Amino acid sequence: TPAAGPPLLLLGAPGSGKTALLFAAALEAAGEGQGPVLFLTRRPLQSLPRGTGTTLDPMRLQKIRFQYPPSTRELFRLLCSAHEAPGPAPSLLLLDGLEEYLAEDPEPQEAAYLIALLLDTAVHFSHRLGPGRDCGLMVALQTQEEADSGDVLHLALLQRYFPAQCWLQPDAPGPGEHGLRACLDPGGLGPRTEWWVTFRSDGEMMIVPWPTQAGDPSSGNGSSSGGQP
Amino acid sequence: MAVVLPAVVEELLSEMAAAVQESARSTGPRLKFLFGSSATQALDLVDRQSITLISSPSGRHVYQVLGSSGKTYTCLASCHYCSCPAFAFSVLRKSDSILCKHLLAVYLSQVMRTCQQLSVSDKQLTDILLMEKKQEA
Repeated sequence: TPAAGPPLLLLGAPGSGKTALLFAAALEAAGEGQGPVLFLTRRPLQSLPRGTGTTLDPMRLQKIRFQYPPSTRELFRLLCSAHEAPGPAPSLLLLDGLEEYLAEDPEPQEAAYLIALLLDTAVHFSHRLGPGRDCGLMVALQTQEEADSGDVLHLALLQRYFPAQCWLQPDAPGPGEHGLRACLDPGGLGPRTEWWVTFRSDGEMMIVPWPTQAGDPSSGNGSSSGGQP
Repeated sequence: MAVVLPAVVEELLSEMAAAVQESARSTGPRLKFLFGSSATQALDLVDRQSITLISSPSGRHVYQVLGSSGKTYTCLASCHYCSCPAFAFSVLRKSDSILCKHLLAVYLSQVMRTCQQLSVSDKQLTDILLMEKKQEA
């Protein structure tokens, strides 16, 4: 489960499955006896991410609180006042589309403050959850084929604050199948591992180590380090 | 969830915690080796009671450090952030400096358990955190 563990940064080009994975993490963290979950994104999701179809559980959905800060300023306001918000603290904080908020204000100091505030907000939620409970943090950033200097700077900043990163790229093994390849680097906390994520037609998400040879750890130690969404 | 400090910093800070009865300056030379002149300046800031821990009933807190120039800087200890120009320049752009003197002073004051304390309302804390966001042009 994503509830514990270091803050995780999801990176990938448009269409690489970041929103789908964030949403899957939200559903996972909103399971029985868990949650609530706070999902921040600029625009409401146009449609539920592919693959979550019939497995959507209304009980879980109810525990996911969506908020749509329309601008960087509003996101700042939301994070700075997070301690004022009534109700139980979330056990998972998710942000989709960080690149849009960073693009508004390319100055590095502002970008660093925004990123730091995300972390600080999660730390505060952890504190409110009480001993033994932590609020997880997952942030998705869209990357471009050709990064400009602003993007490169933001990425360097993010890598400083998010030691754990997961790169996503679409990888369809066959016709009619949809999958993506996830490369998870938990920073200093474990070896790099690669996973193949597919969404079956019934909406079930399957994650297997890459390549999909049963039982044979090809690279690394094969141990399941790092939380999986 | 806590941000993991570089191991060498963690070690040093816990040694300081153990040695807090003796003069903290016995670890000064090692601090200076690790952090350069920021170390002596940081110790000065601690000595001069320049660090304030601002907290609100929510439990959320932030540090403010009165710099030598008279300017006050805001530090988030939870995740290594300082609003000072030195942080922006040397920590983010180049990657050699580990901490600025204000953040180092904050960590030292945590270990030595000495800093000013200020209680504010939840709303006031929001304003303090928001103030760091520059005004729109």
